[in-house]
Amino acid sequence: MRVDPTYITNLVGSLDQTQATEQQLSEELSSGTSVTSLSQNPVAAGENVLLLSQIQQEDSFTQSSNLVTGQLQVADSSLGSVVSELTQAVSLATSANNGTLNASDVQSIGNQISGILNEVQSLANTTFEGQYIFGGGQSSTPPFSTSVATATSPAVTTYNGGATANYLQLSNGQKIQLNVPGSQIFLGSGVNSVFGTLNALVADYSSGTPNVGQAVSDTESLNTALNYVSQQRVTIDNSINQVSAATTSATQEQTQLTSAQNDLIQADIPTVSTQLSLTETQQTALEDMIAQLESSSNDLFDKLQVG
Amino acid sequence: MGTINTSMSIMSGALEADQEALSVVANNVANVNTPGYTDEVPDWEENPPITVGTSSIGDGVSETGSTSQRDRVLEERLDQQQQLAAASGTRLSALNQVQALFTPSSGASTSAGDIGSDITSFFNSFSSLESDPTNDALREEVLSSASTLAGDISGAASSLNQQSAALNQEVVGAASQVNTLTSAIAQLNLQIQSTSPNADAGTLEDQRQEDISQLSQLVGVNQVTTENNGLSITTTSGQLLVSEGSNFQLTTGTVNGNTDFFLGTTDITSQLATGGGQVGGYLTARNTDIPNALNSLNALAYNISTSVNAQNNVGTDLNGVTGTVASPLYIFNEPAAGAVAGSAVAMTVTMTDPSEIAAAAAGNGTGDNSNAVLMANLGNQAIVGGDTPINYYSNFVSNLGSTVSSVQTENTAQNASVTQLQTQNNALSSVNLNDEAAAMSTLESSYQAAAQFFTALNTLMASALNLGEEATVS
Repeated sequence: MRVDPTYITNLVGSLDQTQATEQQLSEELSSGTSVTSLSQNPVAAGENVLLLSQIQQEDSFTQSSNLVTGQLQVADSSLGSVVSELTQAVSLATSANNGTLNASDVQSIGNQISGILNEVQSLANTTFEGQYIFGGGQSSTPPFSTSVATATSPAVTTYNGGATANYLQLSNGQKIQLNVPGSQIFLGSGVNSVFGTLNALVADYSSGTPNVGQAVSDTESLNTALNYVSQQRVTIDNSINQVSAATTSATQEQTQLTSAQNDLIQADIPTVSTQLSLTETQQTALEDMIAQLESSSNDLFDKLQVG
Repeated sequence: MGTINTSMSIMSGALEADQEALSVVANNVANVNTPGYTDEVPDWEENPPITVGTSSIGDGVSETGSTSQRDRVLEERLDQQQQLAAASGTRLSALNQVQALFTPSSGASTSAGDIGSDITSFFNSFSSLESDPTNDALREEVLSSASTLAGDISGAASSLNQQSAALNQEVVGAASQVNTLTSAIAQLNLQIQSTSPNADAGTLEDQRQEDISQLSQLVGVNQVTTENNGLSITTTSGQLLVSEGSNFQLTTGTVNGNTDFFLGTTDITSQLATGGGQVGGYLTARNTDIPNALNSLNALAYNISTSVNAQNNVGTDLNGVTGTVASPLYIFNEPAAGAVAGSAVAMTVTMTDPSEIAAAAAGNGTGDNSNAVLMANLGNQAIVGGDTPINYYSNFVSNLGSTVSSVQTENTAQNASVTQLQTQNNALSSVNLNDEAAAMSTLESSYQAAAQFFTALNTLMASALNLGEEATVS
């Protein structure tokens, strides 16, 4: 049987093949990835896109949660100050109502409560990074303003902010409330209205001779309003806890996702190194073989003695 | 009745025959490296015997030429396999260029040009904006991630268009090569039909076969043997390229921006695309693979642009403005309704002022974030071909990868089969120097034997002429 006399060409083809394999393996080693092109593992490449996207989402959430937490903490501490201001107002009003003070003392208490009202209003107009945090959607202008009281009618505090709250939506669909519109905290209906009761008390004590029954009832209202503010503060505290919990779980998830992604496309260095070493051995063997075949006088003409 | 003269004539015939056979061997050795050369073996023929009276005496040998060691079935089989391998090889290299545009990112850090990361970053920028909708830095981030996304999508799409244009150039070159080869084959047909109508035409046949083999690299063809050793060649789908002595020129022309093939006035592009050869590979990549990738990018670009624009247009921006039909608030250039084709290349960010991002719902005040929530949600909604943008992209890359991988497998198998057929064909048809050396030795010995025999006959003849008188003739 005749054989293909150009077998060395085939060996050279095998040599090219081992070189291509070596190139591929060294690419994997240098990049650290086993999927350097889509066709190497199409399924992993597709999965990788989704995993990376999730990792990025968690990463992005972790960053915005820092910002959000700052804002929520400012709101919380403002409300804390409001609560202590109101507590002080309640105790002032109670002392004014016990009937032992003279008119000028009562007036002075009225002025102090008026000062507290201003203080609470300025707290209600607190800004974070230039934005009024109790302004709802209208965060660029101060949400609260108070009219000047006249002899016949008490001052009125009005809300100019927006009625809607902002929510931060997480990738799992969970929504975290980011703010509480000021109208909800400071201008609740009836006895829940902080500014309503404060303005009423200021009006009560302005003459120095308050209608005691009205003043006592207004003081009780202030107490109710104080409790109502504390209730609203719970919403903010809940959000702070939710953000913190979500951040922790985002960080954990990110770690899991990163390790899943590593498993998926990171090159297994020991395996790749072993493969590289095997391929090198094969290449050396092929080269030696070609060299031997070419150096040994391999065809019959060389053996023919002419002469 | 035989005579000494007869014997001498037989021997001189044998010497001539050996010389001729040696020149056939010499020709083989000389052509050991000639591409397409087919090994030839000397043809020997017994001379007709001479019958005198009742006895019949052999009249020696003649060398009547040589026969090429050729297996037409094997050669045609090799050509066909080469057509398949050339088609998948060409398609594979085009696809490799396509997939290089979508190299997978590794690690958590995003690599430049990765459209998947761009999509996520873009929708993430709206999630970040939720936390502080009036923040200028976060608004800038939205526009810059939008620019990156638009730039990468349109960059990938224009690279694909460039590849398509380059393939059109290749196609023109291939057409002229095909024409050169078919006209050469027609010429050879004429020569073969006139010089060797009934037998293998040797070197002419080698040349014709070499041309067909080269043609097979370019296009898929069928061969039909005609009378007097002629040959007709058609494309695999039956269009006549060579009919014995005449060939039909392929021409190229531009149809819908692509270079198409014509035979006469008939557009045969789609037939050539499935026929094989490099042309088949070029055309499949240009007409199927690249348009598929472009379609996916177009769908992404069109749907992301229109959905995000529409959502931004219904909200209120930082200046308290809500978009209208007359002056819309668009982040991306808005494609014409339904004009998906070409939207990837054209994708760009037209918004320059970050305050125009409508984070607030209409009427809710500029500090509201509910429209930003809705825009971020678009990233998780089935807005592209019934899928979320990132899922759509993920499916696209994994489908592209599968296509490349299957073409790769196909090509590897076809190349292995070509190698096998090549080995079989070489075993039969190439010049094996060992065989030639052996043939040369054999012929040398038989030449020497004939020469010795002739010398002996010469002595015998001298003895006969001298009839015992030693000195007359020596």
